[in-house]
Amino acid sequence: MGTLKGLHWARLMNIYLPIAEMSVNAALFLGMGCAVGFLSGLFGVGGGFLLTPLLIFMGIPSAVAVGTGSMQIVASSVSGAIAQYRRNNVDVKMGIVLVAGGIVGSVIGVGLVKILRQIGQFDLFVSLSYVTFLGAVGALMLIESVGAIRKASSGQPASARKTGQHSWVHGLPFKMRFHRSKLYISAVPPALIGAFVGFMAALMGVGGGFVMVPAMIYLLRVPTSVVIGTSLFQIVFVMAATTLLQAIQNKTVDVVLALLLIVGGVIGAQFGVVAGGRLKGEQLRFLLAALVLLVCLRIGWDLVSRPSEIYSIGPVIGGIL
Amino acid sequence: MRGISAARICLAASVGVFLILGPALPEARGPSEPTQIAAKKRPTVRMGPRRPPPRTLMPPPAEGPVEKVEADVSTRSVEVTTGFTGHEILIFGAIDNSQQPGEEGGYYDVVVVVEGTSLPLVVRRKSDVAGVWVNTSSVMFASVPSYYAIASTRPIEEIAGPLVLERAAIGFAHIKMTPAPGYRWSFHDYELAAFKAAVIRLKQKEGLYVVKAKDGVTFTGRSLFRSTISLPANVPVGPLVARTYLFRNGEVLSAHIARVTLERKGIERLVHNFAFRYPLSYGLVAVLIAVLSGLLASTYFRRETG
Repeated sequence: MGTLKGLHWARLMNIYLPIAEMSVNAALFLGMGCAVGFLSGLFGVGGGFLLTPLLIFMGIPSAVAVGTGSMQIVASSVSGAIAQYRRNNVDVKMGIVLVAGGIVGSVIGVGLVKILRQIGQFDLFVSLSYVTFLGAVGALMLIESVGAIRKASSGQPASARKTGQHSWVHGLPFKMRFHRSKLYISAVPPALIGAFVGFMAALMGVGGGFVMVPAMIYLLRVPTSVVIGTSLFQIVFVMAATTLLQAIQNKTVDVVLALLLIVGGVIGAQFGVVAGGRLKGEQLRFLLAALVLLVCLRIGWDLVSRPSEIYSIGPVIGGIL
Repeated sequence: MRGISAARICLAASVGVFLILGPALPEARGPSEPTQIAAKKRPTVRMGPRRPPPRTLMPPPAEGPVEKVEADVSTRSVEVTTGFTGHEILIFGAIDNSQQPGEEGGYYDVVVVVEGTSLPLVVRRKSDVAGVWVNTSSVMFASVPSYYAIASTRPIEEIAGPLVLERAAIGFAHIKMTPAPGYRWSFHDYELAAFKAAVIRLKQKEGLYVVKAKDGVTFTGRSLFRSTISLPANVPVGPLVARTYLFRNGEVLSAHIARVTLERKGIERLVHNFAFRYPLSYGLVAVLIAVLSGLLASTYFRRETG
């Protein structure tokens, strides 16, 4: 009787995903959303770079993982963006330039997803992008955090970066005045940064905060007080546009899967924020860097190790190319 | 003893019972009414090099009544809903004019093939390109059965020779799988064979190509037989065809076709159709759901934590 009941519950927990077209255990994906939510709450990151590879490892087709990931990111960043806006931490003008660029990048990215799926190279492209970006960002963060931890232990104060220096960025045309950031710079660099992030969003299912935040600080010299709010502003709108575009062009947004991940993620994030408050900034960055590099190595290993099966089968997508 | 006597009673009435019950089954007269395939004439020429020797020395019943197989499926329509975890279908049937001496079977062989809709499929092969495993070649097959299950009284190679099996398209080796026009001439035959073998191997790994050779079909009387086929949770949606073949001495005596519909139903159907027919609205709803759930969660937790 007990086993019968157990079986019944196990069956109830199984849910058929309408777009991924597979039966999965709902509890498993809720738990996964929860774990990623915990980490994103802990480190204050979006978590897309963890969630999308995890979904692919779990057998979700990579295009569906990427498309559904963008929907999950909208949900997980919308409340943060509104909170930042209320605290006046968003440079709306800069945000609009970033969003405009981001939507252009996303349109190009979603189109490229379609072509790559047709020629059977999408999985490879996703893996290579992840290895490149996670490797680079993880290594930079690791070096920076190790340096910060050393300085903190030797008692030296962390030196603040000098601001107000002029670089090649300031010589470009289409200058605009960004009042909230106290900047008078060309609109081209923020638009390009936005476009690049939008392109990544479409191909990798990430918000792109880990690229946008350093780019805004070091290239545009946006004050740190408005960087987080402005990048969240961009992420919400660009990911919403990406979700829409993926749904229209590639039909890879699984609402049922996204809801499981959103619910899990919201719960996990609450615990993550509490746990994050107990750790020091540089320790957190060190742990995050280690995590990023681990994900990078795992994906890289799959690329170079000899697969047990060199053949794969798939449906024909949009005719022959 | 009890079992045997019960079986004998059953056996005596079996054909009659089936003939009465058969047409009276619910849904039996749907649009997908089973159709009878004309029984193939028994050729007198021996076919196939690996044909098994006849197990009895009795001459075939020469001028007696011809055997005919009739079969049906327990479920005419399988519904794929949000809670779909697979479905077991029962294929049952009877042999008209059965010459079989007892319910132990062995006189006839029955093969049941359940086949899903044929769809185009791409097979890709990876190779090592500068240390990275990349898809470097692919073959598109114009139509490959999305699902293929065989159940039989004995392993099919023991039942009939390859030519007979080929003609009836029974067995993985005889699945009709032709490369799309552009691919036929760009590969060697052995390469195409490797791609074809990969399809069968991968489909088997996914649980979509299945063999039930040991007691896949069992006799429950002199003329009654049954077989269960478990459709897995990942069975591709689309109509299924259940073909039943009656074999004797390596030849097909009679065959029968029944159809099963496999459709999306409920929320599952709603979401899938919405996503594919109205992608713009679906995308907008997806964004709306994401925004609302994000806001709802944050207001809920803000209240919780004060």
